[in-house]
Amino acid sequence: MNRLAKQDGIVRCMPWRKYAVIYRSVLLENLQYAANIAVGFFSYAVFIYTFIMLWNYMYRTPGELIAGYTKEQMIWYVMMTEMIWFGSSAASVAREVSTDIRGGNIAYLMNKPYHYTLYVMAKYTGGWSIRLPMYAVLAVVIGTVLVGPLPRFPLAAVPAMALCVVLGLTINAVLKMCISLFSFWIEDATPFQWLYDKLLLIVGTMFPVEIFPETLQPLFKLTPIYTVCYGPAKLIVDFSPEKCVEILAVQAVFLLAGCGLMFLIYGRGVKKLYVNGG
Amino acid sequence: MLTAVKNQMRVCLLSIKYNMMREMVNKVTFLTNVGFMVLNNASFLVQWAILFRLRGDVGGYTFREIMLLWGLVAASFGLSHILFARVFSLSDLIIGGKLDAYLVQPKNVLASVLTSATDVSAIGDFLYGMGLGLICSRGVGGFFLYLLFTVTGAVVFTAFALLLGSLSFWFVRMDMLQSQMVMGIVSFGTYPDGIFKGVSRFLLYFVIPVGMAVWQPVHLLVSFDAGMFFTVTGYAAFLVVAAVAVFYRGLRRYASGNLMEARM
Repeated sequence: MNRLAKQDGIVRCMPWRKYAVIYRSVLLENLQYAANIAVGFFSYAVFIYTFIMLWNYMYRTPGELIAGYTKEQMIWYVMMTEMIWFGSSAASVAREVSTDIRGGNIAYLMNKPYHYTLYVMAKYTGGWSIRLPMYAVLAVVIGTVLVGPLPRFPLAAVPAMALCVVLGLTINAVLKMCISLFSFWIEDATPFQWLYDKLLLIVGTMFPVEIFPETLQPLFKLTPIYTVCYGPAKLIVDFSPEKCVEILAVQAVFLLAGCGLMFLIYGRGVKKLYVNGG
Repeated sequence: MLTAVKNQMRVCLLSIKYNMMREMVNKVTFLTNVGFMVLNNASFLVQWAILFRLRGDVGGYTFREIMLLWGLVAASFGLSHILFARVFSLSDLIIGGKLDAYLVQPKNVLASVLTSATDVSAIGDFLYGMGLGLICSRGVGGFFLYLLFTVTGAVVFTAFALLLGSLSFWFVRMDMLQSQMVMGIVSFGTYPDGIFKGVSRFLLYFVIPVGMAVWQPVHLLVSFDAGMFFTVTGYAAFLVVAAVAVFYRGLRRYASGNLMEARM
């Protein structure tokens, strides 16, 4: 009895502890199936190989610059954005939330002693904690072998880059969850996910923002493109302390606003929930 | 014999019709899925507009040829997913022992499996492909050739997925290989073959059939060659025969999952 009361006290004092437990259990589960994650390397390799071939064709003279990027920087940029894309697999968040809402499983999950959205985020974080480092190693190996190392890469700045990547993929998951939460009102929010994904994929993942007309560039900086894919990848291929501070500040704003929106949509959505018995 | 074939065709068409009707129960979701898939595909126009702003050609292709390439991939992929969506999850059926429900039907097993599901969003892919075909084909004859290559492309997509999925009769975890290799056709097929050289080009013709499903048909649409035309259609027919043979060979090894399931 005393032990239970003590545990209850710990949970009340440290409300994040329950999410840490969820995170840890998913992390351990993913460790068991690390070989399965490696199967996905094929798709990543196909995508990267295609882009290496494409940019080899587009850059015709050695040392040529396109939108201020050398060929090596351009390929490394795509490899880093794709690493974030494949390594984070934010689509799993969208899929899980949509399935829970459409299938009615949300009715069982919403009355548990945790906030549903934070529960999904804890699971997501546990998933990428194994997957992302694996993809990072693969990206570095492919990049070093097929393209060559990045010139003047500042090793000391790796922690700042890692923080930027982690914030970027968290913002992405929060925004994808916001879209999926619309399943409370519309039956299937997947088509909206396609458009959001394509915005990120075409504008921020395949190409750096600088390749687009100058009039559009300031507009892109106001979108998730800047915080989710362009910012982290830009820091890796062309690091500067000023740029790092700017990107981290914008990411903090996006994360706060995104979380606020996520709690708001969820709060409104659960009020619309009807549970059919069966 | 002819009556049996006609009956089988009728059952397949009815199956596809009822799949569609089931998906159209919620009209808003149906239309949103189809419409947004068209938009989703169209968003890649931005990618090619950017690349053609940098260079006058990409891999030896003009913008119109790239659009033919995209249209053919989308239309072929769409057609195979509208008519034969279940083939893309064949591994799950075999590994999960879910083929029993099809085995007890008094009709052809393979045809029943293939036509038992429809992917709604694939209608968007197909419509997008048809739209690009109408805009980019040269004349009525060119569009009919485009339609023919849409069919051969869909046949290659389906037969390739059937071939890989059927390997699940012998090996586990073929589901991942099947989905990644089939998506490989889309990933490589939406880029011109001129950027691939050496071994990779060889593999994309003889291991992943991108060359015969997409690239050669686009070359034929640009400049027709009778010899290559028969090679493309012959290859599609050969792949069908090989895939069907592997499926029935594997079916002999199939062990029931003892799963109670009803198909309505």
